[in-house]
Amino acid sequence: MAIQFSKLAERGSLNCIWIGEDLNAQQEIFTVAGIIMLETSNVNVGIEVTSPLARNISTIARAAATLSQIGRGRFRLGLDAARPNALMRDATTLLRRIWRGETVTFTSDNFRLSNYYARYKPSFATPIYFGVRDQKLLELAGETADGVILSGPRRYIEKAVAIVDQGLRKRKRRGKSFRFVARVPTVIVDKKSDLKLAREAVATVLAETPEAVLEMAGIAQEMVKPIKALIAEKGVNEASRIVAEDLLQEVAIYGSPEAVALDLRSLEKYGIDEAIFGSPYGREPAKAIREMAEAWRRLV
Amino acid sequence: MEKASIDFAVGLNAYETFEEIVDKCVEAERLGLDYVWIGDSPPHLYCPSVAAAVASRTKKIRIGLGLLSPLLHTPDQILGSIFSLTEVFGDRFEICLGVGDRSQLLRVGVDAKLLRAWDHVLKAKRKIARSLRASGVSTKIWLGAQGPKMLAAAKSFDGVLMNYASPRMIKWAIDKIKPVTQKDFDFGIYAPSYVYRKWRPQAYRLLRIASAVVALGAPAAVLDEFGLGKRLQGAIEEHEAGLRIESVVRHVSAEVVDNFSIYTPSSKLRSYLRELGDLGISHMVFGFPQNLSKITIRDLASALR
Repeated sequence: MAIQFSKLAERGSLNCIWIGEDLNAQQEIFTVAGIIMLETSNVNVGIEVTSPLARNISTIARAAATLSQIGRGRFRLGLDAARPNALMRDATTLLRRIWRGETVTFTSDNFRLSNYYARYKPSFATPIYFGVRDQKLLELAGETADGVILSGPRRYIEKAVAIVDQGLRKRKRRGKSFRFVARVPTVIVDKKSDLKLAREAVATVLAETPEAVLEMAGIAQEMVKPIKALIAEKGVNEASRIVAEDLLQEVAIYGSPEAVALDLRSLEKYGIDEAIFGSPYGREPAKAIREMAEAWRRLV
Repeated sequence: MEKASIDFAVGLNAYETFEEIVDKCVEAERLGLDYVWIGDSPPHLYCPSVAAAVASRTKKIRIGLGLLSPLLHTPDQILGSIFSLTEVFGDRFEICLGVGDRSQLLRVGVDAKLLRAWDHVLKAKRKIARSLRASGVSTKIWLGAQGPKMLAAAKSFDGVLMNYASPRMIKWAIDKIKPVTQKDFDFGIYAPSYVYRKWRPQAYRLLRIASAVVALGAPAAVLDEFGLGKRLQGAIEEHEAGLRIESVVRHVSAEVVDNFSIYTPSSKLRSYLRELGDLGISHMVFGFPQNLSKITIRDLASALR
């Protein structure tokens, strides 16, 4: 699907195609990203996100370097691990050392390199984005990454930006090419019944959202528990019926293509540089992406 | 091009830029070679993405990925790459599975000895083959093998790629496998190669290094079988002590180079090919440094005509 939509996105003057890693899908994310790079010529392509432990760190380094070469600097690497800071810090440091052409010897619980060096020469820099939610990791993103991918309710995004800012201030990096990206479930609504799709997306997202994130967003557990229970008992279709209007507005962006484009742009007020038009897009995803891209082009 | 029953390929080591690799593959297709093989190793570019770039710039040449080590890529990742490539570029891909270069694996923290490496390879093969069958994708799965244990496992693959080149060693391996393989099983070799019209010292120096790397990675059982173990002892000790391969190579004799490489003037390649054809070889990958430049690839293609 990502490959199919990539040309639509490029024609719509979108800035970046972010590809999620679905471990159950019959696709390999770096291969898919490479194919999209080859099928497009201007749009950036990002991986959103992969775990530093899903592959050997040297494999992640060379896969990213290959994509940066193919895309002539259009590639972005998203990393995520629900682990302590050391893992993400080490992964970021190691990737950059490998890309600089250093001979690396390093041992930790998660990584082991011994006199390793890359024989390829990375011709373009690969920015590293953290796709994290934990407060300490958000701060670390500001300290060490080139960008952050935030996902969650709007109030959470607002607070998360402030936390990342703390990390940026530690390094005195605010405003220096660091990018804030936010991914929001988005639905183009043609008719009222399309709202059901948005409610289903919100039910799914809320059920998977960590308690700490809900707390930051001011969403009481009591509001989410019945949704989770209903998903477990009867499926997301039934659960979507009890998603309240305020939750829908807090978590998703939906409406006509023009309204969605405006709403995505309004994330600027939180300090967001780039908004991801996230799934489920609409009843007909290809049509929704095309309409959304056209609306965005008219807006910008 | 002499086409009898052998497919010819050039192997590309992905340490160049992807553009240089793609250019060479385009040239290989123009020259009529049947395959290109894109190598995969920790210090090199990422093979599946390079294969995508090659496929996007060529029309029909078949593209081999590998050797892919299941110690570095999970079966699902390998499958995902095959599915994505096949969906976009059609049925042009084959893979070669194997343990991989143990010294390179150690550098990235993977100790093949501790990990029961062969179990990983065989389990990966079974899972990949099952999923491909279920999805109706007919990607051929080769095994990269050298020693007796690996060769014994080859029967469950579609073919075996051996990385030695002397007819004596190849015959020894085929005799071991043939009685237990299916009728359509393919025997291939993937060896350091230098087929030349005009001899170049740089290419020969690189051939010696590439051959030494293969010889030093060969199982002791193979080296001993052919009386090479003692002759390589000094080189093995220096290699294990961490000396650079460029230094170790001075202990590797020309005879060892001959066993592990295809080294011949283009005028004499035909008789070698006939000999291998008679042994049952159906797939030949001319490895590094045959890929050194478009000129060395053209030299090979011209010798195959």
